Amino acid sequence: MFRLFLLEHIQNAYYSLKTTRMRTTLSTVGVAIGVASITAILSLSGGVSQIIAHQVDALGGNIAVVRPGITNQDDINSFANPTVAQTYTTSTLSEEDLNDIQSLDGVDSAAPLMIINGSVKTNDTTADKSTILATTPELVDIAHLPIKDGQFIDSVTNRDTAVIGSGLSVALFGTDQSIGQTFKIRGQTFTVIGVLKNMDDPINFNNVDFDQTAIISLESGKSFNRGLTQIQQIDVKAKDSSKLSTVMGKVNDRLLKNHKGEKDFSILTGSDIAAPSSQFFKAITGVMTTIAAISLVVGGIGIMNIMLVGVAERTREIGLRKSVGASNRNIILQFLIEALIISLLGGLLGYIGGYGLAFAISTFLTFTPAVTWEVALAAFITSLLVGIVFGLYPAIRAARKDPIESLRHYH
Amino acid sequence: MAKKNTPPVIELKGLKKRYGIGDAEHFALDGVDLTIEKGEFVTIMGPSGCGKTTLLNLLGLLDHPDDGDYYLEGTSIKHLSRSHQARIRSDQIGFVFQSFNLINRLNVIENVALPLTYSGMFRTKRLQKASEVLKNFHLSEREYYMPWQLSGGQMQRVAIARALVSSPSIILADEPTGNLDSKASHVIMEELSDIHKRGNTIIMVTHNPDLTTYASRVIHMLDGKIASDSKTPRELKKTVKKVSLGARHEEAKTAKKTTRAASKKRKTTKAKKK
Repeated sequence: MFRLFLLEHIQNAYYSLKTTRMRTTLSTVGVAIGVASITAILSLSGGVSQIIAHQVDALGGNIAVVRPGITNQDDINSFANPTVAQTYTTSTLSEEDLNDIQSLDGVDSAAPLMIINGSVKTNDTTADKSTILATTPELVDIAHLPIKDGQFIDSVTNRDTAVIGSGLSVALFGTDQSIGQTFKIRGQTFTVIGVLKNMDDPINFNNVDFDQTAIISLESGKSFNRGLTQIQQIDVKAKDSSKLSTVMGKVNDRLLKNHKGEKDFSILTGSDIAAPSSQFFKAITGVMTTIAAISLVVGGIGIMNIMLVGVAERTREIGLRKSVGASNRNIILQFLIEALIISLLGGLLGYIGGYGLAFAISTFLTFTPAVTWEVALAAFITSLLVGIVFGLYPAIRAARKDPIESLRHYH
Repeated sequence: MAKKNTPPVIELKGLKKRYGIGDAEHFALDGVDLTIEKGEFVTIMGPSGCGKTTLLNLLGLLDHPDDGDYYLEGTSIKHLSRSHQARIRSDQIGFVFQSFNLINRLNVIENVALPLTYSGMFRTKRLQKASEVLKNFHLSEREYYMPWQLSGGQMQRVAIARALVSSPSIILADEPTGNLDSKASHVIMEELSDIHKRGNTIIMVTHNPDLTTYASRVIHMLDGKIASDSKTPRELKKTVKKVSLGARHEEAKTAKKTTRAASKKRKTTKAKKK
């Protein structure tokens, strides 16, 4: 019985929407725009999350990072204070900590990350978006850095040598074949001994875009900082991924001892490593989705408007339907289904359009939008909700009409 | 035509309908008692504002009385839920309106089939049945016309077909010829007369005294009350007097002959049955 009415109403709605094609199209577009922006935002941010998730997977499950300070995952302030901000604080991690971690049982290797302020330039060119990273030879193994030409810094290489990303190489020398070339950091000359492969991977657990980075030895790094280390992160690789948590327990104990019982560092494993950046993106996504939701509300008001006009126009029809036996519920369903058809159609168009937009935008970005069922579900549910929320009132108004008054309408 | 032991199709007892409040209060219906048996063709006449249409709306369950009882085929409608009333409208009552009230974006056959939607019939079956009914009205070749492509008389025939499609026990017609010229009016009245002969109960509100010749019973209303209630001569010839009407029948008959509007002659005001 219910199914019958549903089919009936869908057919009925189709006919009545067809007769008012223009305004139906316009209100559909209203919803489509809202759903499109939500789809675009969710799929793009999903793309970012996917990158981060893939990286955590690619690490093989045996990587942990130690960061200075305490990362409070639940704190709302951590949204506004992503890891980058730690660059400007004095690190609690020392070289001693690094050495102690390296000497622990079960630790395969550990590498520090020390980011130096300064610009990278040759005699006539300055690379504007470069990063200077001081580290130890272990990093190449831990972070799976692919070498294109030459070699990575190691314990026997000269202090004034550097490995640069291919992007930086192009920016400085106009080519990615730059072995033997020299450039300057704070007046000190470095010779390129290796070039990294283009990774196109600016978002990673080291928070460093290796394509634009000049990697120098920790000793050189210290020389820029009056001989002191300033470690923003220590990457730790365990020998066995299944024992990662026990090993990290040991790291924790050791560091606590070094820091006189003060817990002024965080040890992150698995998806927690990516959490600060993914949380940051989540916050941005949240804000943008809210803005998009406002446009959806506007679309919803469009639906409500058009439905109210439809109800007013069809007052006599409502009176007639009631007099031939339609119950209030029948009338509510009739108009609600019309509203739902508009909103779901808008949702479908918006979903397709949103992905179109996301893929168009992603040609300027380093990642592709995520095609997941969650985005489809979100588009479906939001358009369903818009239809129900904004279609219900006109439908109820239609059902409440007095049949006698309605039949007298426009006599 | 009334069979014994079956309850009358319609039985009203002291039906009242009030409009307005305070000073503006007035009774559109002020204590109407009426019994209509199966198979009667009743015309309700009277000046504007006498409560004819209000009575028709109450009979059709589109409105609710403020006082009094209404028995439809023996059951009181007083305590029925709205959806139940809607159900009754779909199964037992057929409406014919002055302005046809066809839905413009539906074609003829879909308009006729509309009431069956609400009794839960499937589309194919619905259209079949509508087609059958339309055949009786010689509108078969117009099934897929749109309402605006029809003449007024044709539209009203479609509307009558719609009223009949669910085989209702009563047909309520509110000025069915009000928007039609005299030729079309007669065609429509012949149709209604035909339907009546097939055993349907028809209650029709009209201003046109000529149309009472088609009816079996004429009721005049004045100020919310029934002023006179009489069998038409045509009907008197062939039917036995009804107990419900009693001895006042002759009086009413005389009244009918001498004047068309009973309202002008106060002497017949007590003709309503008790």
